[in-house]
Amino acid sequence: MIQSLLLSTLMFGALFSVLSISLNLQYARGGMINFGTVAYFAAGAYAYAIFTQEPPSGLDQYAFGFDLPWWAGFLAAGVAATLFALITGWPTLRLRGEYLALTTFAFAEVLHSFLLNERRIGNGSVGLANVERPDLSFFGLDEQIGYAVAACVLMLVTAWLFNRLLASPYGRLVDATRDDETAAEAVGKDTTRTRLQVFVISAIPIGFAGALYAMITTLVSPALFTAEITFFVWIALVLGGERTILGAIIGTMALVFFQELVRMIPFESVRSAQIAASVEEVLTGVLFIIVLRWQPWEKMKRRKGA
Amino acid sequence: MTLFLQFLLTGIVTGCFLVLATIGFSFTRRVEGFLNIAHAELLGVSAFTTWGLNKLAGWHILPSAAVGIIVTAFLGLAIGRIVYDPIRRFGPAVLLITSVGVSYAIGGVIDAVIGTGIRTLDIPLATSYRFWGLRITDYQLLVVALAIVASGSLALFLNKTKTGLAIRAISVNPELAASRGIDVQKTSRATWLISSGLAGLAGVMLSVIATLSTDIAFHQILQILAVAILAGLGSLYAVILSGLIVGIAMDVSVFWIPAGYRPLIAFAVVILVLLVRPQGLAGSKSS
Repeated sequence: MIQSLLLSTLMFGALFSVLSISLNLQYARGGMINFGTVAYFAAGAYAYAIFTQEPPSGLDQYAFGFDLPWWAGFLAAGVAATLFALITGWPTLRLRGEYLALTTFAFAEVLHSFLLNERRIGNGSVGLANVERPDLSFFGLDEQIGYAVAACVLMLVTAWLFNRLLASPYGRLVDATRDDETAAEAVGKDTTRTRLQVFVISAIPIGFAGALYAMITTLVSPALFTAEITFFVWIALVLGGERTILGAIIGTMALVFFQELVRMIPFESVRSAQIAASVEEVLTGVLFIIVLRWQPWEKMKRRKGA
Repeated sequence: MTLFLQFLLTGIVTGCFLVLATIGFSFTRRVEGFLNIAHAELLGVSAFTTWGLNKLAGWHILPSAAVGIIVTAFLGLAIGRIVYDPIRRFGPAVLLITSVGVSYAIGGVIDAVIGTGIRTLDIPLATSYRFWGLRITDYQLLVVALAIVASGSLALFLNKTKTGLAIRAISVNPELAASRGIDVQKTSRATWLISSGLAGLAGVMLSVIATLSTDIAFHQILQILAVAILAGLGSLYAVILSGLIVGIAMDVSVFWIPAGYRPLIAFAVVILVLLVRPQGLAGSKSS
């Protein structure tokens, strides 16, 4: 019981941490508010499913299924997220602040609507079931543990790479672009390009996380990729204190643990389960408001520094 | 051709509803300076309060609607005072993200109290009027009329009354307005009451013309955002124009492509406009 709780927290916590780490790079370091995070996640998951899926047969309505091995699908997921980030980032990144937030949100909704209505991509609302997953018995591991480990590896690699990237001179360029664009341009830096680079670089791990998510759930359907994921990651990021990679991970883990804990409670009726889900939603919202209102992490950091 | 005109007519009605729903949102943005994602949840609060009084308590629709609007207006005021005011110094981005938390909290409460399922008000069935082969119901006409009255009276209020002028002064330059003796607290309260009251009105309209389920608020925020971005954040007159554009574009698009793409059309219009005019239809370069 407790073991499975911890395991699923670790698995989904690590998976969503990849998203919040990437968002941390975009928002805390790059200064870009991306409210369409789920789109890159969905792009990765769908790319993985389409590339590994068998060609359509019978009632299937999707047009492409390449039946490739899982690693090809995994790579395709990264490529798909990159491409989608280029397509959405190139026109929108000259927008600032709220406008960027809303336009990325709009792009995510457009993608969602496409996946829902265009049956040739992935069977429309039905989605693609029985998504191929790599055989982990080779390592002698239990499936759940195997995927938890895979998610942790992805999270650690992402965290390490971003950490290295931001500690390098390039990281200072990113900070300069965020803090004072005019000054950065005055010393000859191409800020537009830097912003696009940060946007695309941070979308790639989200795509990989999408592929991993498709492996874990073995299902991709539009209902799994709604704006709720975007908001979830934002809440996690804020909970953990915005500015650090460690904070992003802790925030996500805490939020996932909280959700899994609520899911563990056995319910007698559908109605009580529904009320519990709503209460969870309310608590998440209130917690979110409180953290933003009193900013306990910022205060703690200041006290430590003083 | 008649079919096309029918879609156009429905589009105008949809557009008028969107104007009603967006005008309060845009008003908040202009005066308080941030995007209040929770605005759409207020529509839900008003719609379900009206439904509860009308269907469960057996009240007539008019008093239920009035109570629904008043409850929503004061709820909006309370949220503004308790949640948003203390964090205003952190800037619009934090306010925007906080409002997501607020919409979670309100949405969760509505879910817990109401539960799943589709609900309708206890009101007479809509009467259809026909002219030149086109159909329009009396409730649809009511939406159009209310949209005109609401936006007209808001414009009059902002241009003619003392409080309205004070609100406009604060939205342009809060410090200067305060130093000229305008009561910022009082004006901010008036703003919250008005914008939440408008959300309440839109919520009542929603419960009259559509069936209610607890996820309506979320669907509304997508369209509200589309209209608000298109209008250029902050302008009230442009809201009317862009509400009609989005409404008509969504409904007329059904003429050529499957109806499932309606939300996509709304955002496609927005993305196209933003690429050409990043500041929206009426926004100024500086914002």
